[in-house]
Amino acid sequence: MSSDFYTNSIVPYSGIIIKICRAYTDSQEDFEDYYQEVCLQVWRTKDQFRRESKWSTWVYRLSLNICLTMIKKKSNNRQHTVTDYVVPEATEDNHAFSDESLNLLYDAIKQLSEIDRAVILLYLEERPYKEIGEIIGTSHNNIAVRITRIKERLKKILN
Amino acid sequence: MEKSIETIWKDGFLKSDTLLAPKLNNLYNQKSKHIIEKFNRMFRRNLIALVLGSTLFLIFAIFFDMLILGIGTFIICNAIVIVNKRLMNSLKKVDKNVSSYQYLKAFDSWMKDQLAVNRKMARIYYPLFFMIAVVSIWFSGNFQVFISEILGKPHQIYLVNGFPIFWMLPIILIASLMAIFGDKIYNFDVNLIYGRIFKRLNDMIADIEELRK
Repeated sequence: MSSDFYTNSIVPYSGIIIKICRAYTDSQEDFEDYYQEVCLQVWRTKDQFRRESKWSTWVYRLSLNICLTMIKKKSNNRQHTVTDYVVPEATEDNHAFSDESLNLLYDAIKQLSEIDRAVILLYLEERPYKEIGEIIGTSHNNIAVRITRIKERLKKILN
Repeated sequence: MEKSIETIWKDGFLKSDTLLAPKLNNLYNQKSKHIIEKFNRMFRRNLIALVLGSTLFLIFAIFFDMLILGIGTFIICNAIVIVNKRLMNSLKKVDKNVSSYQYLKAFDSWMKDQLAVNRKMARIYYPLFFMIAVVSIWFSGNFQVFISEILGKPHQIYLVNGFPIFWMLPIILIASLMAIFGDKIYNFDVNLIYGRIFKRLNDMIADIEELRK
């Protein structure tokens, strides 16, 4: 990966990549693994980008797809290898941020379904409903309804 | 007043330490470890399967009067296992305290040596196994009854010392072809089992080499 590509095409979006990867992982090791995988895939698939959407949309979509694939792969491996797997609890060890409210919000987001997590992350990043719809593969009306529902659920969890 | 989730999100990420990206220089650390561990697991499992399979086959052969085939298969399979076990022990000497690239390259070079040894062996054990199978069938009770029935009647089979020598020609031809193309057959076999891992390993090395440019 040339440093030019990394600086121009990944660094401006590293924030969202970090935020997405954090929402799908429970440990620093997994987070680094997911983040690196996303960067690699962005680099590997750069030639497949056909400019039909914005580069940022491409990066968001790729990040989400990779996280969802990795989470699925991981749970499959777990099913094959460990029978008594315990869902990790939200402890201070896996709290990634110094801001306590943000950690609590992340814990709440992690309780959502994988797709709802993606929707709320994009919403919080102030992506337009149309773009969220494009990334998730649904209409923007559906996204609007979904976001209202997710926000209510998050409020309940946080309270 | 309670903060909205939007405010928590915005305020939370205002702090500079929250969005620190992991370093990318160890990009393949985990992946290289995973792929090599996966290969080792598969390799070990296949060696165990060879030992168990050949033992079961030997028992089956004893019961079904195919002793030569059973013993032959058992000896060939276990010879393959012993050689590969030794090769596997040499893999432990590969230094893990080096960069992912060096580790992958060392593993790749071990793999190439291992494949070369197995290719050479394949040119011996494929025809050997075939010959053992033929001999086993030849000396089996049922085949001997069949042969004596044929040779007992008027026939046009050319015999040398009572042995149908021309029957041996296709067998020798097949065994020779196996000896010549044993390495190709082995490559086909190996790719069926390990093809995906080899491809991932090569892709990974190619990626790292491009990243290092």
